[in-house]
Amino acid sequence: MRWSDNPWAIPLYGLAAALALGELAVVWLMLNPNVPPDYRAYYIDKTTTCLAQPVTAAYTLGTSIDFRSGGPDTRELLPCGWEGPTGDGMHALGESARLAFAVPTENLTLTLELTGVTLPGPRQQAVMVSANGINLGKAMVTPGKTSRFTFPLPARAIANGRADILLDLPDAVTTSPGQSNVRKRSIKLVMASLTPATTAGAR
Amino acid sequence: MAIFEKSSAENLLAATATPVPVEGAIALPAAGPFDISGSRTLAYILLLPLFFLLTGLLLRFLAFRTAMPDADLTQYFDELCRWDCSWYVKMAETGYDRFPVPGRINAGNWAFFPSFPMLVGGVHALLPFPTIVTASLVSLVTTYAAVLAAWPLLGRDRFAYALYAAFMLSGPVSFYFTSFFTEPLYVLMTTLVFAQLARSRYLSAGVAAAILSATRIVGVFASLAIGLQALLDYRRNAGTWRGAIPALLGNPQLVLALFIAPLGLFAYMAFLYFWMGDALAFSHVQRAWARTIANPLTYLWQGFGNRPDAGWAPSSSQILAMAAASGLVLTGVLAWRRQWPAALFCLLAILIPLAAGLASMLRFMTALTPLTITLMTLLARRRWLFWLSLAAILLGAYTTTLAWFGGNVALV
Repeated sequence: MRWSDNPWAIPLYGLAAALALGELAVVWLMLNPNVPPDYRAYYIDKTTTCLAQPVTAAYTLGTSIDFRSGGPDTRELLPCGWEGPTGDGMHALGESARLAFAVPTENLTLTLELTGVTLPGPRQQAVMVSANGINLGKAMVTPGKTSRFTFPLPARAIANGRADILLDLPDAVTTSPGQSNVRKRSIKLVMASLTPATTAGAR
Repeated sequence: MAIFEKSSAENLLAATATPVPVEGAIALPAAGPFDISGSRTLAYILLLPLFFLLTGLLLRFLAFRTAMPDADLTQYFDELCRWDCSWYVKMAETGYDRFPVPGRINAGNWAFFPSFPMLVGGVHALLPFPTIVTASLVSLVTTYAAVLAAWPLLGRDRFAYALYAAFMLSGPVSFYFTSFFTEPLYVLMTTLVFAQLARSRYLSAGVAAAILSATRIVGVFASLAIGLQALLDYRRNAGTWRGAIPALLGNPQLVLALFIAPLGLFAYMAFLYFWMGDALAFSHVQRAWARTIANPLTYLWQGFGNRPDAGWAPSSSQILAMAAASGLVLTGVLAWRRQWPAALFCLLAILIPLAAGLASMLRFMTALTPLTITLMTLLARRRWLFWLSLAAILLGAYTTTLAWFGGNVALV
């Protein structure tokens, strides 16, 4: 039987054509996502392993925050890139991690206590610290050893009453072949504080 | 002998009692494999799965009492609901996440396909039970229906049918099919696709495939199975490949079926775009689970090489690798029996998830209907093997459910 002999042929072909057009339109939508920049960077372009989540960053200036288990609830200070807490601190996960502190706009000193992970990899873990795009300095963290690092935090690095601290972790290591970079390991955060610049601790 | 044991031509002969009319060079059987003669056969088909449904409930409940002797009886359904099940419960109650995810995590629930949670959510709106109880009831009914629908694919072999019913409803991993995972609907729709293809009913196969593609991403490969079956049907009827494409395009039902089959996936993609701006969110969000695409054989090799720290029992990775390898072997059996559409569907439904790692491979393999049906037909060939398999299946329901309660990650 020829298709033209089938009285349903034209409606069926018409419906198929409509579906084909609809599916083609969805392919166009697929190729043109309309998403926020942080969504694109993490999920699509994969240019970051740290997808910042909304946090209040509630913090009292001058307080030392203990990030080990048993310490205070630090969820509101950790936008992304952390796992824990554990007994030896908050473990950085991926190639960067973020901290956020609601602070007054003035010159401050950032103090971090960091421990390097004891995994096969580089002799030391470099930690590049920046805030709102302004480079604050670099820490070299030794595996298995906890060290204290201080960084000057100028007032211009504080935006909208918040110090958004970015820790870039270029030496982070994977624990198994082919593992995703979102699971990379590098350092553990033991303590952090922000103090007015005049009362900065030892470097 | 089962449908998946025969060539396409034999399938049609088994499925049809009257001559095959030909329309547009495509064979359309006049009588179907669901034609059942005799009330005793009908009673067997309907009551046997019901019996195994009850034994399954009993065996899983015994495992629950053994694992948690002090737990309240009403906790049974809650305790069976583990891993992805919790995601589905939340989805049935609150739908899809927006971005950023309200729970402030990277893992949005866009990874999970909508059809089964939607079905449960709809039924939940009508019944006064908690979501997980409703979901378990819907799963039981859906799996029962899937077993009934598999009767023609099992070649009306009572022994193979008994094993299949026992495996699905009272088997070692029956908790996948009776709590809240997408597997019940996935199995039912896969069964309907291939039952319809066995009769060269492309349009109804396409409708089942559309639901399948909204149930799990790999369901979309049923579209390819439909196209391949149409090609093979043409070759069988015409005796040549020449003129195949014009003849197939001249069949409006087939053309429509091919565009209907992936409709579930396309509809979900359109929804995701309008919901959050990314039609591929279900794929992109896999990054949050640290999934990386690699050679499936590499993952298999790594899985087999991941030995247990101590003892003789295989590691979780080895169990998952064995599940995937068994799936590939059974796919080879399908190909050897010239069941090309089913073999193609199974091959893609194994390799695509395997390219992202071994996670959940045991669950994926046990829900690949052509494979489980093929396995049951093999086990039903000898009477002693049948009884041994039945005993292992029923015993496995108890022991594996205990392992499920124990958090064995090979079962995730």
